[in-house]
Amino acid sequence: MKTFEEKWTAWLDGELSGKELVEFEASLPDKAAAEAEKRDTHKLGALLKEQLGAHALSNEDFFSHQLRERIARENGPSREPSLEASTWWTVRRLFLTGVASLALFVICAVVVIRDKNPGEQSQYLTQILNARVDPAVSPNATISMFETKEDKVTVLWVEGLQSLPADYAAK
Amino acid sequence: MRNCALLLAALLALVMSVASAAQATQTVWSGLVIAENVSQPAPIPPELIRIEQTLKALFGYNQFQVIGQSRKTLKTGEEDWLASSKYFALHVDARGETEAGYVLNLKLYKENDLLLETDTKLSKRSPLVIKGPQVGGGQLLLVLVVQ
Repeated sequence: MKTFEEKWTAWLDGELSGKELVEFEASLPDKAAAEAEKRDTHKLGALLKEQLGAHALSNEDFFSHQLRERIARENGPSREPSLEASTWWTVRRLFLTGVASLALFVICAVVVIRDKNPGEQSQYLTQILNARVDPAVSPNATISMFETKEDKVTVLWVEGLQSLPADYAAK
Repeated sequence: MRNCALLLAALLALVMSVASAAQATQTVWSGLVIAENVSQPAPIPPELIRIEQTLKALFGYNQFQVIGQSRKTLKTGEEDWLASSKYFALHVDARGETEAGYVLNLKLYKENDLLLETDTKLSKRSPLVIKGPQVGGGQLLLVLVVQ
């Protein structure tokens, strides 16, 4: 069952006929005013068709191609965006690279720490732990020790040992 | 990726084994040296070239002559040896190897008399010089170098 508005629109467009047309026109309160409105509507329609006609496309082939491509994309099988397909640096490879770098860092750190033992004065310098002279032979002997900065020589300096004649320099 | 990891591990193992092998055998040069001032100084022995300037600056002599020496290759770090001249003898007793070098007990004898005894940790990169007794116009020095 059409509403009045639907019948009105169909009447304006000239789509009513037969019994339906007669019944609708009979239901109009002022048929002359309705006819006038129908004529105005037709005039407006003609004017709009004239002024708002579709412009011809200058690159219709390209436009058609783009359109077909888009339709094909949208109708094609949907795919999840995959990192593995898009780039060599997958999450897995990034993870493995990170682990490998960390392992390398730990190895280097261990080697460096082993090389430089903080418990010792310095591995670059010789250390004199103790020194003694026989007090009976050299009662006035004194002992001191130091390192030279230039070539890291450790020196045990003993003063007061008994002097010996030059003969003792023999090979 | 797995092959790369295996290759890297093998390379590291190789480097570390080569490094430890290089560390395993070291030679210690021990010398009894007479330092003197002479008008025509003889060339310094090759073992002392590295510390020539220090020796000259510290002791004030221009000639350094080796009167006794020993070159010992250490394998276990527990060897002992003797560097001796006619009247002096330096007995070196290695008592183990540390990260820093070798623990050594040194005894300097004049004939049968013990003049000096010391315990040291001889570093592989730091020579040891001991000032001994005055001998004539010169000075007896004991020098130990890890080569």
